[in-house]
Amino acid sequence: MPRWGMVIDLDKCVGCQACTTACKAENNVPHGSPEEQRSRRDIFWNKVIAATTGKYPRVNTELISMPCMQCEHAPCVTVCPAKATYRREDGIVVQDFRRCLGCKYCIVACPYGARSFNSIEQEEKPYHRPDLPPDRNVWGQWPFPTRTHGVVEKCTFCFHRIDQALKEGKKVGTEVVPACVEDCPSGARKFGDLDDTRSEVSSLLSSRGWIRLREELDTKPKVYYLLK
Amino acid sequence: MGLTFSKIEGKSKEFYTLFILLSIFSLIGFICFMVSYISGHHVLGSSSIIPWGMPITITIYFIGLSAGSLILSSLTYVFGKEEYRPIARLAVFLAIVLIFGAMIGIALDLGRPEKSWRLFMFFVLNNMRSMFAVNGILYGGYFLIGVVYLGAIFAENYKFIKLMGKIAIGWAALVHMGTGAIFGFIATRPIFFSPIKPFEFLTAAMVSGLALLMIAVVAVFKFTKRDLKQELIFSLSRLLRILIVVLAVMVLVDKLTHLYSPHREATVWLLTGPYSWIFWLLQVGFAYILPLIILFHPKYSKNLKGVMVAAFLVVIGIFGERFSLVVPGTAYPLPLYPGKIEGIWGMAGSFPITPIETFMSLGIFTLAGLLFLVGLKNLELLPVIPPSPQGGEAKSEGGPDAGRK
Repeated sequence: MPRWGMVIDLDKCVGCQACTTACKAENNVPHGSPEEQRSRRDIFWNKVIAATTGKYPRVNTELISMPCMQCEHAPCVTVCPAKATYRREDGIVVQDFRRCLGCKYCIVACPYGARSFNSIEQEEKPYHRPDLPPDRNVWGQWPFPTRTHGVVEKCTFCFHRIDQALKEGKKVGTEVVPACVEDCPSGARKFGDLDDTRSEVSSLLSSRGWIRLREELDTKPKVYYLLK
Repeated sequence: MGLTFSKIEGKSKEFYTLFILLSIFSLIGFICFMVSYISGHHVLGSSSIIPWGMPITITIYFIGLSAGSLILSSLTYVFGKEEYRPIARLAVFLAIVLIFGAMIGIALDLGRPEKSWRLFMFFVLNNMRSMFAVNGILYGGYFLIGVVYLGAIFAENYKFIKLMGKIAIGWAALVHMGTGAIFGFIATRPIFFSPIKPFEFLTAAMVSGLALLMIAVVAVFKFTKRDLKQELIFSLSRLLRILIVVLAVMVLVDKLTHLYSPHREATVWLLTGPYSWIFWLLQVGFAYILPLIILFHPKYSKNLKGVMVAAFLVVIGIFGERFSLVVPGTAYPLPLYPGKIEGIWGMAGSFPITPIETFMSLGIFTLAGLLFLVGLKNLELLPVIPPSPQGGEAKSEGGPDAGRK
């Protein structure tokens, strides 16, 4: 079984937010109104933060684009009472809207702020690729035919693309990648199998210094950042 | 055991006024809940940054009151303190009402309340590593144990009462420690993360439960013109002040530990930031310092009014303690990356007080008050008034709004 991971090159990232936009388009994530922005209820599956160190004129701002870290020891999976958040065999942490109660315990437990609560009934349109492979066939379409309010949402590493590619026999990581990786104009994001020694992510990780965010919490994220 | 219990008549004007008032506010609360359910949670004050707001605060507050109240009822039935027998039934009933109110509170906070049955599918659909699921067992069991316990008390089967009392006291302690664990086990949130949280919650539960019980007892006995031995309240108040000291020490240790790294910045923010007034004024001032001054004062501690004021302060103060844990605990921004995080992701969350949420919260309180009132009317909870020299039982009047706080 592959272990999907992402490598983000901070040297190449320009902070253009293309990943955020691509994610919103691909996954039908609502765009959010200014009012929602102010009250911090807008939904982000991917976000870009800026962290500044130093003072003018010796100042440095790091742009960190943050999808869900798909932790191996994910705190959200531990705290979810209803098994709505679970880890698939390939290590992707997914959220099942059918099971989610909306207790928001996972938002409290997530160290990366990767989760958002969908508080409003969003525009009623079918998930825009109904032909996608379901997560578990018995449960019908993934994961909920339409968006629903009152549940928690998060990044899925675009697992529908991955599943589709595996079914069609395409190569994940080169031919098929998540939307944010595909749309990154500077090629800062790479996606692939961390266990596969021939994959691009493995070679990048062995060639450069890297960090993972908030290592002190021992969550073992699968999103790696290559340092400048 | 020559004490008999009776219902209140509940035919007076005051009773019906109170009953109707509580019903109206409960109905308003329900309407507010329906609004928040149909139009979405954006009408509440919570957001993705502060996911837990007023309903969760009220829930853990109610659980605390309930567990404290039940533990105190066992003073009579387990430890054989006869002087508390007149109020023991009331304490058990109050505990059941409050745990029910707490479960309502959780359900109202869920984004999908119709799926709350999933919380009770133990070991089948539940992830039992989650403290929330474990607490589902604890709350459900607690409710059942409380009901059976009260049933045994009504049946006056003393052997069974004693057994149930022992189970109930242990279970009540577990319930509150489990609630503390919901918060204490979250490593991400510096203000929550602490091994002392379960014990702090347990002590806070006993403090607030005792204070509420004192208020409820005095109010109910006064309104129904029953004769209350003041010494009973004073002995409870001596217990209360010891518990407050224990709680204050626990909170002090908790905050002191947190003032060391790696939790320092969040704790300093809590103690000096925008929510500091809740911590200092409500939690420290109302729950610890003022009641302790009153309860250790040579004159006021011997005065029923003084003790009641102290109990009221404690009940309000412990609510402040819950609020200053739940809301600032998640409001502090996550340290996602070293350095100062610019823009919205580095800002602390703010918690607006919205009318819908306020009335919904008020509805939870009034619903608990309503159930308490109905219980007083239909269950034999209060000791019978001894026949007065004027002859016959004095006319019983309506219960007070004691269950509201």
